Amino acid sequence: MEFPGDLRYTKEHEWVRVEGTRARVGITDFAQDALGDVVYVDVPEMGASVQAGSTFAEVESTKSVSDVYAPVSGTVVERNESLGDAPERVNEDPYGEGWIVVVEMGDPSQVDSLMDAATYEAFMRSQAGG
Amino acid sequence: MSESGEDLQRTPLEAEHVALGARMGPFGGWYLPIEYAGTLAEHEAVRERAGVFDVSHLGKVIVHGAGALACLQRALTNDVAAIQVGGAGYGMALNARGGIVDDLITYRLGEDRYLVVPNAANVEAVEEVLASHAGGDAGVVPRPDLCTIAVQGPRAFDLVGRVVPEALELEYMHGHEVAYQGKPVVVARSGYTGERGFELMPPADLAPGLWRSVLEAGEDLGLAPCGLGARDTLRLEMGYPLHGNDISQQRTPLEAGLTWAVAFDKGDFTGRDALLRQREEGVPARLWGLRMEGKLIPRSHYGVFVGDEHVGEVTSGTFSPTLRIGVALAYLTPRDRFSAGDRVEVDVRGRRGDAVVVHPPFVDRSPK
Repeated sequence: MEFPGDLRYTKEHEWVRVEGTRARVGITDFAQDALGDVVYVDVPEMGASVQAGSTFAEVESTKSVSDVYAPVSGTVVERNESLGDAPERVNEDPYGEGWIVVVEMGDPSQVDSLMDAATYEAFMRSQAGG
Repeated sequence: MSESGEDLQRTPLEAEHVALGARMGPFGGWYLPIEYAGTLAEHEAVRERAGVFDVSHLGKVIVHGAGALACLQRALTNDVAAIQVGGAGYGMALNARGGIVDDLITYRLGEDRYLVVPNAANVEAVEEVLASHAGGDAGVVPRPDLCTIAVQGPRAFDLVGRVVPEALELEYMHGHEVAYQGKPVVVARSGYTGERGFELMPPADLAPGLWRSVLEAGEDLGLAPCGLGARDTLRLEMGYPLHGNDISQQRTPLEAGLTWAVAFDKGDFTGRDALLRQREEGVPARLWGLRMEGKLIPRSHYGVFVGDEHVGEVTSGTFSPTLRIGVALAYLTPRDRFSAGDRVEVDVRGRRGDAVVVHPPFVDRSPK
């Protein structure tokens, strides 16, 4: 399982890629693997306001539906339209083609409170052990 | 219930599943494969080629002796007397109120020897029902030592012909015992996927070898090992009810659309009076299929509406891999209000999804 070093991570298994004042957001390799085959992604509308720690999207697999929590607060400025016809991209390429939205951050320093790759991996090991 | 399965019943094939990289999980008190490569790929393998499932959690109970037929006739809804040796029948065990204790298949293995196959979670309840009707001249013998390996899909005949050639003689809903490595193994033309296929019931010690033989024989046929995830999407595309979801002790065969499996004229059986009474007084609800129109996916317990009026509840729902749209089973009330083609809405976590009322199956497949 891969956790790229240039991303930041949440305990709810979302990732963030900082692009200037914007944050690209998706779910991690761990999250997509746990979900199984993704068959539907409910992507928020352009201009939607998202709150760090609140639900902003849903990812649904053949067996269940999972909330996706916003890692940072801000406004949706890009949404991955291609997930409408190809939700499997979340499974196939979670850090690339499977991104969900880009958020213009209200406070870019929020990213500092997210985990780096090493911390996220350690967090998951502690979860697995518990 | 433990995640790693310590408190659950184990299948003798567990090591095979782990070696194949299966994701295991709890179902009906058992620790079983949920998926291997992925539910969508497994579903497609069964619809287009072949899939093999470990469904060893399915119960097996032998009913034998001079009184076996009389016992089954009183315990079950279907006419067991109509089943020839080598044949099988689908029916239900009911409680006194007409509620469904379990739905099950009865195979007639010999003149006075039957194999009853209940759902995993209902084995004890069915054994109790059978024992209560057995009298002195019928024996009820649980056979937890038997496994079940289901081979399903358009290429199941090619595949099973290489492993248990005698199975090819069977017609749909027939089963008999054949000798496999010197021991009797029940082979049957049955399943829960809507595809043509077989269920093989070897004793535990032969099961791993038979499982491996099936996988080897299927190598050039596009066979996939399949988990309970695909079993559920496959059965739901056919509209087959699952006990515990779509049918239960609180629902009768008249509500569930299973009247075809009730032989009212065969004589008395548990629940018959209650069903006749319900038929007289009116059936409160009816199990329908719902086909979603948009992208939303219905799940069990979601409400069904006409405008603001709550008209029912989803009992099973999923994404249909074949249709690439949500499908569901739902009880709608009152019974005679709806007909195929009517439009309703499903409340999908606060959003309304349009749906059409249909008679399942949702897909044009047949296991015959």
